[in-house]
Amino acid sequence: MIVLETNNLTKKFGGLTAVNAVSMTINQGDIVGLIGPNGAGKTTFINAISGLNPPTSGTVTMFGKETSGLTPEKMCRLGLSRTFQIPSPFPKMTAIESVMTATIFGNPPGKITDPVAHSREMLEFVEFPMKETVVAEQLNTVQLKRLDLARALASNPKLLFMDELASGLSEGELKDIMRIIDKISKKGISILMIEHIMQLIMAVCNRLLCIQFGTKIAEGPTQEVANDPKVTKAYLGE
Amino acid sequence: MEPTTNDLNMNLFDRVLDRLCLTPIGLAGLILLLILPFIPPFNQEYMLRWLIYCGFVAAMSVGFDLTAGYINIVNFGYMAVAGTGGYTSALLVINAGLSPWIAMLAGGVSSAILGLIIGMISLRLRGIFAACLSWFFGLAVMGLAIKMVWLTRGPLGLRTPRLFETESNFPFYFLIIILVYLTYLVCKWVVRSKMGLAFQAIAQNMEAARTSGIDPVFYRVFNFTMSCAIAGVLGGFYAHFYGILTPDMMHTSKTVEILAVAYIGGRGSLWGGAVVAFPFIFLMEIVRSTLSHLPGLNLVIYALVLILVMIYYPGGFSYFYDTHIRQPKNRALRYFLNGREAKV
Amino acid sequence: MSKNIVADLTAWVRTAAGLSMTIAVIVAIAATIHTGPYLLVNTIVTGGMLALVATGLTLMLGVLNIPMFAHGEYFMIGSLTAYYIFTPISEFILEHPDSWLVTFGPFIAILGALIGGAIAGAISEKLVFGPLRRRSTDNWVMNSFLLTVGLSVLLVNLHQLIFGADFKGIVGYWQGMPISIAGAYISLDRALAFIISAVIVALFYLFMTYTRTGMAIRAVSQDITGAEIVGIDIEKIVLLTISLACALAAVSGGSLLFMIPSYPSVGLEPLYMAWFVVILSGLGNILGAVVGAFMVALLKVITVEYVGAGWDFVVPSALIMLILIFKPSGIFGSDVRGVLDK
Ligand SMILES: Nc1ncnc2c1ncn2[C@@H]1O[C@H](COP(=O)(O)OP(=O)(O)O)[C@@H](O)[C@H]1O
Ligand SMILES: [Mg+2]
Repeated sequence: MIVLETNNLTKKFGGLTAVNAVSMTINQGDIVGLIGPNGAGKTTFINAISGLNPPTSGTVTMFGKETSGLTPEKMCRLGLSRTFQIPSPFPKMTAIESVMTATIFGNPPGKITDPVAHSREMLEFVEFPMKETVVAEQLNTVQLKRLDLARALASNPKLLFMDELASGLSEGELKDIMRIIDKISKKGISILMIEHIMQLIMAVCNRLLCIQFGTKIAEGPTQEVANDPKVTKAYLGE
Repeated sequence: MEPTTNDLNMNLFDRVLDRLCLTPIGLAGLILLLILPFIPPFNQEYMLRWLIYCGFVAAMSVGFDLTAGYINIVNFGYMAVAGTGGYTSALLVINAGLSPWIAMLAGGVSSAILGLIIGMISLRLRGIFAACLSWFFGLAVMGLAIKMVWLTRGPLGLRTPRLFETESNFPFYFLIIILVYLTYLVCKWVVRSKMGLAFQAIAQNMEAARTSGIDPVFYRVFNFTMSCAIAGVLGGFYAHFYGILTPDMMHTSKTVEILAVAYIGGRGSLWGGAVVAFPFIFLMEIVRSTLSHLPGLNLVIYALVLILVMIYYPGGFSYFYDTHIRQPKNRALRYFLNGREAKV
Repeated sequence: MSKNIVADLTAWVRTAAGLSMTIAVIVAIAATIHTGPYLLVNTIVTGGMLALVATGLTLMLGVLNIPMFAHGEYFMIGSLTAYYIFTPISEFILEHPDSWLVTFGPFIAILGALIGGAIAGAISEKLVFGPLRRRSTDNWVMNSFLLTVGLSVLLVNLHQLIFGADFKGIVGYWQGMPISIAGAYISLDRALAFIISAVIVALFYLFMTYTRTGMAIRAVSQDITGAEIVGIDIEKIVLLTISLACALAAVSGGSLLFMIPSYPSVGLEPLYMAWFVVILSGLGNILGAVVGAFMVALLKVITVEYVGAGWDFVVPSALIMLILIFKPSGIFGSDVRGVLDK
């Protein structure tokens, strides 16, 4: 089943075409890796889908419904959730409050009977290493990324975007993240993850999408794309 | 978000107190305010007049803080919004013969509509430009009040019937104390509900809030409208207490007064401004009346306090209270300051 | 070739900036024909003054991210300084009508205003903005805004406390016959006030564009860390920028003393007019601010002429609100971006 499909998605900032006619699909249960050099337009691409920065042209179809240009809050209710490259849950809130915010507002009213318990469950699920009453601004980036992930999961998404979740992690933490991604996938959530760490990508993704200068240069099964000479060239330069 | 109070081990007193958003010390303070006018020297009419003004500023600063402290937008035309309520109310009483009590509420409605408009059109603006927009709105409204002489008598001002037909200030004092408390209570209820969480979320991180399913338009506009409605009712009180209403009440400098008290009290606390207003404004009135040969001295002090607080203690009084006073070792004292701490 | 120019011109006229400037010019011409050239003179004098205040304001906002609410108070400081310098000079002139001070006295007063404003700005930086910056830059825009609110109240009331609340004005700077241009009589004071503001704005523009220091200021406004890396002394630049911005407002107050006497809250009107300009023209855009200043001045003069005195509170506010609603980035484009902007 197709979860998400983009068709010639384009995003321009003035004269700069950050995303150029990218078409791609995500199937139910996929863990798609979105790779490409820095500044390739990866973040812009998921911003365009999730509505934070609506596309200039092209269409997005999610769960069989056209969703191009819908606001992020509508996309959230439809089952799309995301984390941020610069993780920034609510700086002055405690961890549990941050997650609770998404629990309360990201789910249909009445669906979650005990938001506190649900939020706690999310924090446990992402193996949040600190006390739940810690204030977000006191966390380091790695901890913030976990918190942001818990926040993103709290709205019970069916599709999850993760923006460079693993950058800056140690070897041990990488193992933890792999396990958590695995758990998320087992919940039946399809994943699109922007990532640079090849080790992680090769381990968890079943498909890859590579973009460069905003244009798709490869899409397909992980091994195939990873060995594609165009992709290697994009990363290593000419 | 406040701790939820589904605790069964709380006794009735604590539970009622919690519903009323008071701590024991808060209750004591409220009682003190209610018996204050019987204690000399505060029982003199001129002192009561000052205290009523303190109460007005206190209540206004609570309403102001709902916007400034929770969605991080300074409503720089706040007194003009209050003035709109005041004028609406006064005109309804004078021209349509309405009772001042009902007119006061109508004033609230008119200010709410104004707030709705400002809230809607400031949506697309970043913090400081939203402040500017509300400021210009305030200037325009004040300009209208000055220029629509046929309706408002311009700078001459409107003579307005008072709420109570008595020379005494006593009933007004109790009314404003009730209004201060009601303003606080209503705002506190709102921010304690899930709405408060939404306010904070959109103020702290718009993108994360939106991707978490929060519609910023609704919450921002709601917040603005509510805070302006409060200002409108209070403006009605102002009009029907002083008995004269001039466009001067809408002046930017009056908004600055509210703003200063709200920030010195501590943004985002709601109670900070209300608590600080009484001693602070009262002292300022003493300075103003005793050192009347030095006009402006009270405002110099005012400004200095605001500047010092903004530089060295931007959290204001409520932050100071929360970090240094709130958690004493003594258990009884701690109960007194915090009430029964509900278990989450 | 000429077709191209025409096409470019029509394209420009159809942009927001071109459209509004074209309308402004047409309105100015029509009103001048209708009521007389004094309207244009008023617009130009007010516009020149406003350009000074508004460039200072954009500078503060664009370079330092300080939404200055106290900028009008430096206008007030300028007019106050000029008053206290020029009053003894004018007494001296009365006794010695042939002295060189007849011609140069006013310049001394205006120069004094400039220096006074610069010093006041530097003191404000040392005592107010510097301490805040060193303590914390969290939520800087809002905190510094509130700080300037406090500063404004402080300066207004210090003026009242020390110098009293009465109007401190002068009869005029330069005696002499009004100049006649195309049938309009312009007093020497007005003409020179405009020339002074034009010269200063031009100098300021050249300074910002061509000198090393000016470039450093612009570098800081674009990327503070980058500027630090290439070895720009941020503290110095900040100090310089603030004194410069305040001096611009003060010189405007000083040179307009003959029109607007000094009193405690004299700064409120220049302040909000300058804010109109900044919003109209966008941030950190000196040329835009100059053009915007004349447009706002025109709007004010026309409102006073056709709607009535006092309405200049209402009509320009309403128009600025419309602009904020439909084009939050200002007519000349900038980043007054909002929460919901694409
Ligand atoms: N809001 C924006 N305005 C203008 N240009 C932008 C904006 N966001 C991103 N860009 C530009 O778009 C390009 C792609 O950026 P981004 O999507 O962040 O890259 P990636 O995430 O692949 O590293 C970059 O050149 C960046 O400068
Ligand atoms: Mg990125």
